[in-house]
Amino acid sequence: MFEPMTDVIPSFFAWINQGPLTLTLFLHSIIILPMFWIYRQEKTRLENESK
Amino acid sequence: MANKVSVWTDNRFWQRSAAWVTGFAAVLLIWLTFDTSAQISMGTDADLQNGVTKRVPGPTVINYKITYEMSAKRGHEVPIIGGNDGSGMSLFQEKEKFFGRDDYSEEEAGALLHLGKLGSQTKNCMNCHTLLGNGAYYAPDLTKSWLDPAWQDGGTMQAMTGKSTKEEAMAEFLQHPSTYPTHARMMPDLGITAEEAKGLVAFLKHMSSIDTNGFPRNFGKIQGAVNGK
Amino acid sequence: MASNHLTGIGSESKQLATWYFTFAAILFGAQLLFGLVAAIQYVMPGFLFEILDFSVARMIHINALVVWMVFAMFGAVYWLLPDETGIETIGIKVGKLLYWVFVAAIVVVVLVYIFVQVGPADETSIWFIHEGREYIEAPRWADFGIVVVALGFVANLFMTGMKGKRSGIVTVLMADMIAFAGLYLTGMFFTDNITVDQYWWWWVIHLWVEATWEVYVGALAAYGLITMIGAHRKVVEMWLWIEVAMLFGSGILGMGHHYFWIGTPEYWWEIGALFSALEPLPLVAMFIHVLYDWGKTQGAQDATGQKLSVINNKPAFTWFVLNAFGNFLGAGIWGFFHTLPQVNLYTHGTQFTSAHGHLAFFGAYATILIGMMYIAVQGVNGIKVMKSTRSSVWATWMIAGGVMGMTVALTIAGYVQVLVSRAQMGATWAGYFDGQSGLWFAQAMDWRLIMGVVTFTGFLFLAKDLLSIGKSPIHER
Repeated sequence: MFEPMTDVIPSFFAWINQGPLTLTLFLHSIIILPMFWIYRQEKTRLENESK
Repeated sequence: MANKVSVWTDNRFWQRSAAWVTGFAAVLLIWLTFDTSAQISMGTDADLQNGVTKRVPGPTVINYKITYEMSAKRGHEVPIIGGNDGSGMSLFQEKEKFFGRDDYSEEEAGALLHLGKLGSQTKNCMNCHTLLGNGAYYAPDLTKSWLDPAWQDGGTMQAMTGKSTKEEAMAEFLQHPSTYPTHARMMPDLGITAEEAKGLVAFLKHMSSIDTNGFPRNFGKIQGAVNGK
Repeated sequence: MASNHLTGIGSESKQLATWYFTFAAILFGAQLLFGLVAAIQYVMPGFLFEILDFSVARMIHINALVVWMVFAMFGAVYWLLPDETGIETIGIKVGKLLYWVFVAAIVVVVLVYIFVQVGPADETSIWFIHEGREYIEAPRWADFGIVVVALGFVANLFMTGMKGKRSGIVTVLMADMIAFAGLYLTGMFFTDNITVDQYWWWWVIHLWVEATWEVYVGALAAYGLITMIGAHRKVVEMWLWIEVAMLFGSGILGMGHHYFWIGTPEYWWEIGALFSALEPLPLVAMFIHVLYDWGKTQGAQDATGQKLSVINNKPAFTWFVLNAFGNFLGAGIWGFFHTLPQVNLYTHGTQFTSAHGHLAFFGAYATILIGMMYIAVQGVNGIKVMKSTRSSVWATWMIAGGVMGMTVALTIAGYVQVLVSRAQMGATWAGYFDGQSGLWFAQAMDWRLIMGVVTFTGFLFLAKDLLSIGKSPIHER
């Protein structure tokens, strides 16, 4: 499941770099997920405005 | 009961999303930059003495023998400084004479590297060659040129320039490039002095010791085995 | 809105825009001319040897490219500001003064490039001849000049944007242009560590052409759609915000694809591969956006029963559509070709990059900026509906065809280099020249030169057309 870190110098990013996807999925998730919160906020605002 | 609303076609939603994505991606890049900067800072002579592997070794790496060998752990070739411990790690033991000396001090080696780096820019190397793969494509890549078989003992360039070491052959070539053509496409005379040539060769030797994650692949391993045409 | 851009006469901002466009077009010609010199040298290595070497020709080729685009970009902003904000650009007198400072500096820099070429290995050469760093070779003194001019430009934009009506387009431009100007600062230092050097060098190059410039193009395309086919502003600006999110979301961390092999840690493989693999998506979105809006407005027009084109500037709109397609093809497809590290290990530093560079700079930037020049010609001459002349058509197809031809030729040359020099021969000096002397490589370079000549001929048509089309009787006034 977990691969050993192979890079020269250990670091946070080197450790979560577990072959294809892991690091990217992590980064993409923290970029995309907060957009759901923005979506909810804007939805509430639009609903209030259209009442 | 609120009316049905469409958030997906709402400009404010996209504006806020754009601001968030841009801002956060920028923050991540800055975080990564701090992490990377610490890893790519230039090492010191003490690092080399103590056997500390740096991605970019200190200038005194020119006192050591440098090779480019497969590392089983990394899964690609890595620069090996001063001998291989058998598992793809540098031993930092074996020295190699550079213009007759292998005891350059940190200041001397640093000054040579500084001169060479300045020379690499002022002579515009990058607008014909590639350095670390970046630049123009009119002339060979210089990333590992120090390790190129053509310059080694028995290689064509030492015979052509009439020199007996690769650093002297390289320095001679750099000072009079169009005297020693290897192809119809020649390097022009750039007015490189003897001292500048020495600096440039130190710069090239240092560059070959940078850990480029296995670029270029198989460098110098294949010699005339394949008919390229 | 649709007729607002016709107020070309009387706006000082628009007058300054035409100055910027004029000098940009001259530099565009210089770019092509020195590109031809470099292309000839690939075919005939003795051409101008030790007189005007490849390194010098190529340096001017790529510097003229960057500078003409910056000129045209500044010009385009000065052109659209009065339309978007509804007021005259604030501080335009200073803007005009800075224009002359900029032009004078560029002329001096180019003359030094041509007549001094190289200097001794010291700081003086870096300060007064060139810095020898691809794309941003300008000597250090000129760096400071560029910063001053760019700050003046950003100040014009901000003061006008804050006082006048701040549309979505202006808001995006304000945020984008401050980043664009600020990023230049990261390329203004010297270090002995070439890895650190290239790390920051990419902050300028990548974050310009794969982030801020692309967003700029998105804003320009939005402006063009509103002015040329009367697209609905709210829809256009919504697309613009989506594009900004996608472009910066993929482009900023997509920088990782330049950090595979320069001494930087291995984790950049993953970041670079996946984020830059997403970079084509916004370019697809932009392409769809332009065609969708065009179809929508034309469809609404057709529904009225009148056979009438909604396009009020044919040549400009042609270039905008070419931009939408060329951006996707050159930056998106050709970029994706070699963005994964497994592929890039072999393609990095080969003609592949050059093929991508040619089509991407042309498709993403040259096209839309030429389109803006036509919009300016229309505005200055007070034309209601501008039609294409014979020269417009010849210019469009010869330039687009020529660049596409060069790209195909360079891609073939790149394949030879990747397979022979890299995969087979292991990238050595001898391996390099084995690849260069291959028949396919040599013929590809012949074709590149031929296509370069086609492109340059197209440029001559373009120059003639830009100078004369405004007076042509075929337009509706």
